[in-house]
Amino acid sequence: MLAVQVLINALVLGCLYACIAIGFSLVWGVLNVINLIHGSFIVLGAYLAWGAYQWAGISPWFALAVAAPVFFVLGYLLQRLLLNRVITAPVLVTLTLTFGLDLILNNAMIYYFKADYRKLTLSPPTGSISLFDVVVPVDRLIATASALALTGLLYLLLRRSKVGRAIVAVRLDRDAAVLMGVDVKSIYAIAFGLGAALAGCAGVLMALIFPISPLTSSAYLGKAFVVCVLGGLGSVSGALAGGLLLALVEGIGSTLIGPAHATTLSFVLLIIFLVVRPQGLLGRKGFE
Amino acid sequence: MVQSRLARYARISGSLLLAMAGLAGSASLASADDVIRFGAPLPITGPLAPEAVKQQMGYNLWAEEANKAGGINVGGKKYKVEIVYADYQSNTPRSVQTTEQMITQDNINFMFGPFGSGAAKAASTISEKYKMPTIAASASSSQVYDQGYKYLFGTFTPNDTLTTPLTQIIKAKAPEVKKVAILARNDLFPLAIAQEMEKSAKANGLEVTYFEKYAINTLDHSATLSQIKSLAPQWIFITGYTNDLLLIRKQMVDQQMKAAVVTMIAGPAYQDFIEAAGQSAENISSASWWHPAEQYDGKDIFGKTSNFVKLFRAKYNSDPDYGQASAAVSGALFQLAIEKAGSLDRDKVRDALASMDVMTFWGPVKFGANGQINSLEPPVFQIQNQKPVVLFPDAIKQGEFKLGVN
Repeated sequence: MLAVQVLINALVLGCLYACIAIGFSLVWGVLNVINLIHGSFIVLGAYLAWGAYQWAGISPWFALAVAAPVFFVLGYLLQRLLLNRVITAPVLVTLTLTFGLDLILNNAMIYYFKADYRKLTLSPPTGSISLFDVVVPVDRLIATASALALTGLLYLLLRRSKVGRAIVAVRLDRDAAVLMGVDVKSIYAIAFGLGAALAGCAGVLMALIFPISPLTSSAYLGKAFVVCVLGGLGSVSGALAGGLLLALVEGIGSTLIGPAHATTLSFVLLIIFLVVRPQGLLGRKGFE
Repeated sequence: MVQSRLARYARISGSLLLAMAGLAGSASLASADDVIRFGAPLPITGPLAPEAVKQQMGYNLWAEEANKAGGINVGGKKYKVEIVYADYQSNTPRSVQTTEQMITQDNINFMFGPFGSGAAKAASTISEKYKMPTIAASASSSQVYDQGYKYLFGTFTPNDTLTTPLTQIIKAKAPEVKKVAILARNDLFPLAIAQEMEKSAKANGLEVTYFEKYAINTLDHSATLSQIKSLAPQWIFITGYTNDLLLIRKQMVDQQMKAAVVTMIAGPAYQDFIEAAGQSAENISSASWWHPAEQYDGKDIFGKTSNFVKLFRAKYNSDPDYGQASAAVSGALFQLAIEKAGSLDRDKVRDALASMDVMTFWGPVKFGANGQINSLEPPVFQIQNQKPVVLFPDAIKQGEFKLGVN
């Protein structure tokens, strides 16, 4: 029964990992920017959900609808006003810029929200579903379903909408897209805005499950990075596959060789993938 | 183009920074004669930043109170207190560099150790080299003090003083507890406490059925908790910091884990743990070096414990925890030692600290031969009705131990 429990835990967690990583993967894949501010966006989204619930009694589901446009605008402006100035510079420059922005946002959160840890506790609690000694918490199931829905929406947006096709076109061949009349600066800003919106929504969902603190941003960022490499950049389903693989390795590794080594194990896996299959499980050239 | 602009900005901001540093330097030199400067290297940024904020709250409260009373009396002349902070970015090697810089360049008179046992031990080598009296406000591991240093003092008793009374209470109150599962954050202090717990459990005839470490920054503990649940221990003992413990507690509830006793160190000592955990904090037991419910009548600047709590609440609008109180008492102890020595001479102040035997709001303070406090009885407590209730020592006991954590 322990094996079934570990497997179910991993499946649920894998979807959450995918949700953390998907916006990061989009920005990396389309803009070729390793967005180090992604983890702090997630935490800011979590604070938004917590604040809305704590101070105004607004449910996290409604917060999700608010977080998406707010973070989109934030990401859009950030790209237009700052990142766009260095987007063609070597990768180290964009990395330094997002690192600096992350330091500012993270320390601002420590300053304004103080060092206290917060937890969004729904009242009444959502409880757990148990079947033959296997227990699954309802809030994780809801967050998983929402994460899958967000992933599906992004997939549809990229495949079916004009903007989505323009994003894929810019990713595939920037110069050709310019010749076809695509406003690349706008598309970059929209893609970054989408990445930020997905991070904000992921934060709202994470607030239901994890305690909120500015310090967790590095953990989220680390997971996003590993999931992207495992799943492969340029694929929505890759992020899902990467998330599931990471959660399975961590869950099984933790049970068999102890929790202290689970993180090491996931990084060993990361190195193996970088050497043997650098494109990841489902990585392709275009983002689709 | 972009690079040349960047270079220009860097040059301009560099010159501005230099100018600011120069101004700050001349300002501090101007007032250097009538102040006592205390160096406090802290992890103001990085993963340990919340702990640094707590330490600062304690130091600042003490400095404010000392200055409000006119300052520290040194042989009839009053000196104002100034605390010089420096950020070592949660990086232990940098804490050593920062300590050296403070002693050699920042003209500090006395030092507070950096946060935690690891950094305090590393930096103590430097302060010892320069014969700089140092009080470590957050280092409990005996290895920090067993180096034979003369200038290092600490306000936390060794880790076993937390786990031994706890085990004895549970053995007396819950004889059905036979199996213990221990899960520890793989970090110096939480791991040291967990190892003491293992020793203490074995010494009291309990079976340790599970002992594992989890990595720092672990986001999900569900696999580990499922494994512990399958072993059905009656006592679950978990160490870590507030974030870890909130995360684990939530996931224990998610997995419907129940046990006669659940102990967590060091989260439940903090108000934010109790608030964030809500109902799930009920009956969780813990231990720490100090608690606001204590009732000591101190000879230090804060006097009674209740007065310290009152002053802290007035300044910060929250209850103090042991970390904040330890920082404040460290300042108060320096003040007592300097006033007793009647001098700012480092050796005289060091001797005054070594021979100290005084009651404070923190409890009785007397340092052992190795510099670590040996006079304190740390309280054991349990969260009951959303409040920490002290179970030990008997002198400040507020209630009886309750079994069952759901």
